[in-house]
Amino acid sequence: MSAPAEPTLPAPYRIVGRRQDSADVFTWTVEPLGEPALTFLPGQFNMLYAYGIGEVPVSISSAAAGEPLLHTIRAVGSVTRPMAALPVGTVIGRRGPYGSAWPLAEAEGGDLLIVAGGLGLAPLRPAILGALARRAQFGRLCLLYGTRGPADVLFADQLAAWRARGDLELRVTVDRATPDWTGEVGVVTRLIARADVDPARTTALVCGPEIMMRFAGEALLRRGVPATAIHLSLERNMKCAVGYCGHCQLGPHFICRDGPVLAWPRLAGLLDVAEL
Amino acid sequence: MTLRELVASQRFCQGLSEGQCGELAACASERQFAPGEFLLRQHAPADTFYWVLEGQVKIRLALPGQGLVTLETLGPDEAVGWSWFAPPYRCQFDALATTPTRTLAFAAAPLRALMERDPTVGCAVLKVLVSTLSERVQSCRLQVLDVYAPPGGRR
Repeated sequence: MSAPAEPTLPAPYRIVGRRQDSADVFTWTVEPLGEPALTFLPGQFNMLYAYGIGEVPVSISSAAAGEPLLHTIRAVGSVTRPMAALPVGTVIGRRGPYGSAWPLAEAEGGDLLIVAGGLGLAPLRPAILGALARRAQFGRLCLLYGTRGPADVLFADQLAAWRARGDLELRVTVDRATPDWTGEVGVVTRLIARADVDPARTTALVCGPEIMMRFAGEALLRRGVPATAIHLSLERNMKCAVGYCGHCQLGPHFICRDGPVLAWPRLAGLLDVAEL
Repeated sequence: MTLRELVASQRFCQGLSEGQCGELAACASERQFAPGEFLLRQHAPADTFYWVLEGQVKIRLALPGQGLVTLETLGPDEAVGWSWFAPPYRCQFDALATTPTRTLAFAAAPLRALMERDPTVGCAVLKVLVSTLSERVQSCRLQVLDVYAPPGGRR
């Protein structure tokens, strides 16, 4: 999927829906004003511009086909906090899609193990929906999702629907349980050893806080998943999103252009360098 | 499957002879727990080493003012409890089944004696225990890091 001819020019989009997913996470439904519906690949991101406030990279959380464009955003910084207060009907700018995608086609024919931490479930959602839409093309399909506490579980209705399908192993764990939580407790990386997949024929897609992804990658390697079959989605300080400015550089990679999805061998040794 | 075969099929028996697996099995029995039933109670004598075959067990701690807090859940192919191995042999946490749970229960005193008597068995059991401890320390560190908290909002 290529970026538009003028890659830094935002197109106007209207916020047509807003859902509060947790205390600080919300999802916008946005529609283009005068341009055709966006085509993108699962794992790619857009730059969203709140006029007069600022611009941030946000992964696309909707299905690649059959859903309106969704962006799930955490109100955490000087741009996303004001964004959280924008009412439905507000016009924003959007440019993209940018970056690399989850290697779903490469994963076909084998098992798919998806490891999500916190808001990392959002960029993985299009991949999960894509795999479910072509369910017969995959072997076992397993989603491991870890988050801080029960109140932080995203897409709860969606998770329930996925669990009800019966053709996807779903395990949800929280780091900090409340007395009424009856699910698993502990970090998501510990679930990797328990996932019902054949490691040698598994492709792993991982997204979450960087430290969680580092330990997930190591747990996947211990389990026997080939390094080349482990893919992480990284987040960095993206500004131009097209590899001009270098703000998002991680070692030899520009995450906006070479990533956000990168295979483990390209990241090994970079995720535990404090200066990066 | 006999008890000896069941014990021999567990990963801590890899590399052990039939005779050694038989000696381990002599310390073991199969025990089942209903949801809500305790495997271990905080402060009680740690006289049993449990190995989960099926089900789920939660490790729980009473915190003054906060009630009972679940620290982690454990599942098949995992060890429950290591206080049985080191003095004063007292459980530090509660462990209770959250689903119907099937375990191998090893009596601690004869197991310790066997490990002293046969260092090969001792090493095999310790390898599993140490790897369990290592995993749990690492997990605990990640939990303490509170990696999902908003920047500046960790607590």
